[in-house]
Amino acid sequence: MPDDDYDQFVTERLDRLLRYATALTCDKYLAQDIVQDVLLRARQRWARIGAVDVPYLYVKRMVTNEYLSWRRRRAARDVSSTHSALDELAPVVADPAVRHAERDAMRARIAVLPRKQRAALVLRYYEDSTDAEIAQILGCAEGTVRSHISRALQKLRINENTPSEVLR
Amino acid sequence: MTEQEALIREAIAAEADQAVDYRAVLANLHGKRSRRRPMALIAAATLTVVAAAVAVIVPLSMGRNASPPPVDPAAPPATPQTVLLIGLDGETNTDAIVLARVGADGTVSAASLPRDLWVDIPGRGMGRLNSAYPEAHAAAQAEGQDGDTAGAQALVQTVAALVGMEIDHYAAVDMARFASLADAVGGVDVCLKAAARESYSGIDLPAGRQSLNGEQALAFLRQRVGLRNGDLDRVRRHQAFLRSLAAEVAGLDDPAKLARLVETARSAVRTDPDWNLLEFAGQLTPNARTATIPVNPDLIETRTNPAFAIDPADAKAFAAEFFADQPTQPIASPVPTSRNPDDGCVD
Repeated sequence: MPDDDYDQFVTERLDRLLRYATALTCDKYLAQDIVQDVLLRARQRWARIGAVDVPYLYVKRMVTNEYLSWRRRRAARDVSSTHSALDELAPVVADPAVRHAERDAMRARIAVLPRKQRAALVLRYYEDSTDAEIAQILGCAEGTVRSHISRALQKLRINENTPSEVLR
Repeated sequence: MTEQEALIREAIAAEADQAVDYRAVLANLHGKRSRRRPMALIAAATLTVVAAAVAVIVPLSMGRNASPPPVDPAAPPATPQTVLLIGLDGETNTDAIVLARVGADGTVSAASLPRDLWVDIPGRGMGRLNSAYPEAHAAAQAEGQDGDTAGAQALVQTVAALVGMEIDHYAAVDMARFASLADAVGGVDVCLKAAARESYSGIDLPAGRQSLNGEQALAFLRQRVGLRNGDLDRVRRHQAFLRSLAAEVAGLDDPAKLARLVETARSAVRTDPDWNLLEFAGQLTPNARTATIPVNPDLIETRTNPAFAIDPADAKAFAAEFFADQPTQPIASPVPTSRNPDDGCVD
């Protein structure tokens, strides 16, 4: 029964999909919207989706695409966002738990990465996907995946060495 | 694994931990299924504000028709009040936000604020307007305090800072109760420029003028997908619906219908503790004009998601003019008010 199958999939995978989407979007409400929309769409096509080898991978791809294509926008005025990301760091500096502060600082840096780079990063370091899987989900070549990730890593490294005052 | 990679792992895991509780989402998904229109509740979620506005209008018509609200005749003349109407989706998402000012003569001016406005949230920095409520709600609940109040207050502060006005009161409405309001007045007339059929909202309506029952109203007010301007078009639908509903209520003289309407409206509305809705309603007239706060229609990339940019100076100038206590007439406003010059039909 496709319906039972679908229900089982949702019950088993919903939490993980929400967490993945939240890591991807850095916005739990958008993540919820996207996952709900995708799952409802998936249900209508479940006869087909349920038949593929790994439905989770397929649905994850739908979620990823939904986010990546979620309204093409202009990236020109991105400055304010950088400021706000840095503003969020401010209270963390005083935190005695240094590791915790470092982690939150990293979170903020990841949140300002270009979407595809962030998607590749989340897939590798959260979902533990292989480059081949990431390539399949993002719909690009494996070489492109590696370059997304190496560029992301490089950017995160550069930012790490840059005092936030300079960026401000 | 390098130190950097380990840190990245931790950071991403921490981000993922922010995810909403899957059980709520599961309930949502199951809720959809048992209904005839499985997609309905999902895409949706705005229209609550309309119910809030109705809650304000309803007691008014009560006052005129049957039992006058307990207004002290010796009370000083009414002073203008600014109120924020908040539409909630059944959880903490504020999908409709309307700032309204009621003049001393009882006229209502109501401006919709798109939920994706990119604004300064006091105490938190820049963020989307519709994040103010849920963030404050969550923070308060984590400390064992009343999340509903904290959320509403945070949104009130954010909007007040944006428009540079003091806000006297707020009312928050649960949209889940909404459909029954349209049923309670025996249908609400709207006019569609084109036929609308779309599966997320479950809307399936022909073009032209028609009367909507509760279920149809819900779909009409929820549809976002498939509208050219998305949420902005939806806001216009809310406004058209609200005007029509106000007219419907004003012309209502069936006590049974009125009673049902009042009951429904009251159960769906939560206000700040100091606000006596009934007394307030005694000041109102059914004359309402509506507008949408002017935004730059180009979406901007933000740290997280696309949002509408708004110049704080523009927002303040708009509010100062739109909410001026003695509006010149006709309203000389540079903003596109939704009072359609033509036939009142919407996309």
